[in-house]
Amino acid sequence: MSDAPAGDRKETGAGLMQYSPEGMMPFGPVHPSLKEPEYFKLILEGEKIVQVVPRIGYVHRGIERAAQERTWVKDIYLFERICGICSFAHSISFTQAVESMSPFEVPDRARYIRVVVAELERIHSHLLWLGLVGHWAGFDTLFMWVWKDREHVLDLEEGITGNRVHKSYSTFGGVRKDLPEGIGAKVTAELGYIEKRVAYYKDLVQSEQTLTVRTRGVGRISQDTARKLSPVGPLLRCTGIGRDVRTEDPYAAYDEVRPEVQTSKDGDIASLLVLRLNEVLDSCRMVKEALEKIPSGPFKVPFPRTVPEGEAAFHVEAPRGELFYFVKSAGGSVPERVKIRTPTMANLLTATEMLKGQTLADVPVVLTGMDPCFGCMDRVSVFDVDKSKEWSLSGEELRDYGIEYYRGRRG
Amino acid sequence: MMPRKKLGGALGEMFKTALEPPVTEQYPFGRKVVAERFRGRLDVDPVKCTGCSVCEVVCPAGVITMVPVGKKTIGSREVEVKRPSFDLYTCISCGQCVDDCRFGALTLTHDFELAVFDKKSLIMKKALQVGK
Repeated sequence: MSDAPAGDRKETGAGLMQYSPEGMMPFGPVHPSLKEPEYFKLILEGEKIVQVVPRIGYVHRGIERAAQERTWVKDIYLFERICGICSFAHSISFTQAVESMSPFEVPDRARYIRVVVAELERIHSHLLWLGLVGHWAGFDTLFMWVWKDREHVLDLEEGITGNRVHKSYSTFGGVRKDLPEGIGAKVTAELGYIEKRVAYYKDLVQSEQTLTVRTRGVGRISQDTARKLSPVGPLLRCTGIGRDVRTEDPYAAYDEVRPEVQTSKDGDIASLLVLRLNEVLDSCRMVKEALEKIPSGPFKVPFPRTVPEGEAAFHVEAPRGELFYFVKSAGGSVPERVKIRTPTMANLLTATEMLKGQTLADVPVVLTGMDPCFGCMDRVSVFDVDKSKEWSLSGEELRDYGIEYYRGRRG
Repeated sequence: MMPRKKLGGALGEMFKTALEPPVTEQYPFGRKVVAERFRGRLDVDPVKCTGCSVCEVVCPAGVITMVPVGKKTIGSREVEVKRPSFDLYTCISCGQCVDDCRFGALTLTHDFELAVFDKKSLIMKKALQVGK
């Protein structure tokens, strides 16, 4: 507001709320034209972001409560639908949490099959992310190339599980179907193609100026900040802290098919690009290794419809980082309580820290850089402290602004 | 090694891909062949269905409703005969009913074109006609 006292400019958090004019919000954050609703309020001084206030909860679907009304098996399909990209991570986390409460042992073959599908999911998720970074940085050619290549992985997933997105593959006691006949040769051929493409993209993202100018030194976080805010997944590893649930607390067959934890020291978006592409290459290796080592035998054991009384906590390394499940059973046919913490929730604070000190033009790339599970900046309102003015930008407007801003700087 | 900075590094690849045939499927003129395991529209074999109601119990999306279609006598008892009716517009194609049907009456077909103008056309009642 124009009558806001100048002395309050440096205040953060709730203190800034007094700047908000009444009746703001022309439309959104929930609007049919937006992909996934989310709201970030950015406080600016000129071009520079000084404070970020994220608001979450626009897509609260009450899934944890709904799970208490459904049987254990029905819940697998419900939890898969939390995320369309890492659906298999959700289902293996839930099924393994429940399996850990029962005396039944999952067959070795099922553990290996879970690794194969989980790693294929990581490959397609990281490729999707790379395409999105290309799109938001104004490099749509990269977006189209990467998404074309991602189709190869999705086809493999469809061949193994029966669906591209919601795989519905993991179940209590193993997986629902065995690997199809002759899938090994097909996977090897397709992953060979992916590896070739990823090697090219790795070179491209480090050399092509269209990307380097938008990513190098942008959204940098230090190791100390990372330790303080505890991000998970690639966002943590890009600061040089090599933590990965797959190596620290191996689940499925990760104790036998070991991942090589990728780290990077720069902590900016450019290093995230290389780090995620390295993870894709490592995942390709792991899928092939798992298919070579996979033992024969049953892929599923019969599992009762009720779960013994008790509670379990389980975490897996989803493509975005540590995904945590807490499950409590009262011995009946429905869970008593399920608590989920998704990686984006853990990374949100770090993303706001990454935005501070950046320019408004960097917002799309930085927010995509954290690989959010919501459509991120489709609704951003901007507050300029100097002019005491507030306005809103849609995601597309923000993208165009960023591209124009950098075009002006380069010229 | 400090990577080199250059503009237009992707031009070579751009020319190469420009000469390749389009990757996009020309739907609906060309239809993608789905995987053998693809889970599409649910189908029921009315002859094999015994009306045991297991599919109704396990369905996570509430697609299946058991409808009474008549009565039959088993020994000295008269019992109600039920058959499933499917509201396929809520079906999530998970295939749990197919897994749990011990009579092999349910299958998931490869049909993925389920967009309709009238959702009533996705109510499948063919199991109600036979086996009364």
